[in-house]
Amino acid sequence: MAKKSVISNKSKEPDSQDSLTEHILNCSRSMISIINRDYVYEKVNSAFCSAHKIDNNCIVGKSLPEVWGENIFVEKIKNNIDSCFRGNTIRYEANFETPHYGNRYYEVVFRPLIKENGKITQLLAETFDVTDLKLSRQILSEMEEEFRKIETNLPIGFLRCEPDGTVIQANKAFLKIMECDEESEVAGLNLRDFYAEKGLFDIHLRQLFHEQRKTYGRVPLHTCKKNDIACRISGFIVTGETSTPPFIDFAFEDSSRELMLENRLLQAQKLETIGALAGGLAHDFNNILATIYGYSELLLDEFSGNKSATEKISRIISAATKAKSLTSQILTFSRQVEQQKIPVSIFEVLMETIGFVESGKPHNIHLASDVPATDAMVYADPTQLFRVFLNLMTNAIQAMETGGGTLSVSMTIVQGNSVRYELSRNIVADEYALITFEDTGIGMEESVIHRIFEPYFTTKEGGRGTGMGLSVVHGIVSEIEGDILVTSKPDKGTVFYLYLPVTRDYPMGTDISQEKLLLFITGNRYESRILSLALEKSGYKLVFASDTTVISKYISDELQKPDMVIYMDDSEEVTADNIRDIFAEHSIRIPLILITDNDQYITKEKLLNSGVAKQVLIKPVSLKEIHNAIQISLV
Amino acid sequence: MPGILIVEDDNDLREMLKVSLLRRKYTVIEASNGKEAIIKFKPSMVNLVITDIIMPDEDGLKVIMRFRELKPTIKIIAISGGGKAGPGNYLNLARALGADEIFPKPFSINTLLQKIDEMLEPEQDPQ
Repeated sequence: MAKKSVISNKSKEPDSQDSLTEHILNCSRSMISIINRDYVYEKVNSAFCSAHKIDNNCIVGKSLPEVWGENIFVEKIKNNIDSCFRGNTIRYEANFETPHYGNRYYEVVFRPLIKENGKITQLLAETFDVTDLKLSRQILSEMEEEFRKIETNLPIGFLRCEPDGTVIQANKAFLKIMECDEESEVAGLNLRDFYAEKGLFDIHLRQLFHEQRKTYGRVPLHTCKKNDIACRISGFIVTGETSTPPFIDFAFEDSSRELMLENRLLQAQKLETIGALAGGLAHDFNNILATIYGYSELLLDEFSGNKSATEKISRIISAATKAKSLTSQILTFSRQVEQQKIPVSIFEVLMETIGFVESGKPHNIHLASDVPATDAMVYADPTQLFRVFLNLMTNAIQAMETGGGTLSVSMTIVQGNSVRYELSRNIVADEYALITFEDTGIGMEESVIHRIFEPYFTTKEGGRGTGMGLSVVHGIVSEIEGDILVTSKPDKGTVFYLYLPVTRDYPMGTDISQEKLLLFITGNRYESRILSLALEKSGYKLVFASDTTVISKYISDELQKPDMVIYMDDSEEVTADNIRDIFAEHSIRIPLILITDNDQYITKEKLLNSGVAKQVLIKPVSLKEIHNAIQISLV
Repeated sequence: MPGILIVEDDNDLREMLKVSLLRRKYTVIEASNGKEAIIKFKPSMVNLVITDIIMPDEDGLKVIMRFRELKPTIKIIAISGGGKAGPGNYLNLARALGADEIFPKPFSINTLLQKIDEMLEPEQDPQ
């Protein structure tokens, strides 16, 4: 029979070695017990009893199966005890309920008690509550996992350094920002090596030690691939125990995008300022030009018999006309002129331009287009839109003229929200038409890209380009609330991204056109087609003629007489003399507007002088110009 | 002889207009700004006014409205410097203010003279 032994619940003053041992056992918070080979509890401590909320003598003498239940004993405990009696110290984790503590996690240790004769008849069982530890570990592990996820996905680079800047640790984001492939690349380097200005690093370090933590905006750095970037750097001094040197932790945020947006804003502001200045100048210029025109015309009258004189005076007029064209461009670029806008089919105008370019391009240039038919409209002047497309395509072709290449034009519709951060202005429409013009030409340096929309900035040698083209394009695009972006690599090529806001509500046609019938005389070239489309969309009725017979027919038709004739001087079929003769023959008093090239102005003077042409417009003609001319002539 | 009042702040341009009109045998009165124009305006003597819309001192638009008040039958030609001087459609603006014609600068002087002849034709009653 096992000896019953009671370990008192009360802590008494220890008066002997035995009592001391008992006392210590009862002070322990672990559940301690002694178990014999019959799986019977010989001794249990206070903690054991409290946990089970029972008295000592209810456990001592009972077997484990009795206390824990046969199933649990056999499943979870027996093997461990047997192993222990073979001489092993067993440790295992258990999860069970006690009346006092409820469900907890425990670490159970069985230690064999080896007697002097080498036999093991008892084991010491210790059950230690590890619930808090376990939960903490779990939470910690979850937090670590979360942190790792965040750390990998956040684009913030973390760097831990020695106090002198030597790199100890770097995270993936840092490596990405610095364009390094491996952490090994940066190990052993100093943060100083990344700084573009070494002196700045020394200053920063000094400041950090002084203030413990500091943030530096837009620090210029070099990446592992020797590229220039800028980062917002935050530094914190991490103090360890006084004996260990502090670490310095750094957080890196790539501020390249910030810089890029700022540059774009500066550029836009620059253009605005230039625009305002230019607009004011152009206005004054028009006064001066009017004077020049006026006296020139008076002189023409005065010296009408003198061929030499009239020749020279005509050249003055021609030069003045060029000046007028230039001021008109400046006004367009600086957006000082509000364009007459109508809903225009982007697809139609783009295809028209592509056709025009295709017919006139050099043989070593290949034109590829991916333009799906769409009914997307933009609220703009079709002639201006044509000009934008044409200018961009012409530039592309010129960039490839020496070596040949491919010009790719494509169009796609994008959602306004998804391009919100691409554009340098607020989005104004749900959808945008994105038209890309890509060439494989000589490309541009970064410094050039920043300036291409500036007026008078050109990369073409001696007099070939005026440098107005792209600035006018920019002006037109801005005025219709679109945007234009560009990327380029020297010797690789350039891509222009043109964003046009798609308009869905078509404003009611204004009554300005009043259903007038226009006779449009043209050789039906591309530009004329755009203009005629524009006029039709504005509410005018158009009939067309490309040879003299048809013209005569329309002119002399009493019932369907046109209110106005628009003569596009673009074909050999119908000359100014033809027109004058027809008008004289039928004694026509219908007002006529002549649209011609600048250098043809002189020869067309006869049309003006004979009173046939009421207005002369110089190409390129905007919708507003021709519309005004029509209105003036119809009154 | 029909009288024409020219209101234009650019001296050279105003001189050019005067010379052209004198050659056509019109009587010409000049003013270099709106205030001067209103002072010099005599309804019995002036049949037609040519005025710039945008001038530094007096608002050209006000000039047009004032002349229309003083002599409802007067003919007014507005010459504009171009640009965003007038919002939107020139013609509508001109009409709204009382101008009969708009000539954006730089214009052809012959065209302008022709138009003036047309506008003043019926007014040629013996005075």
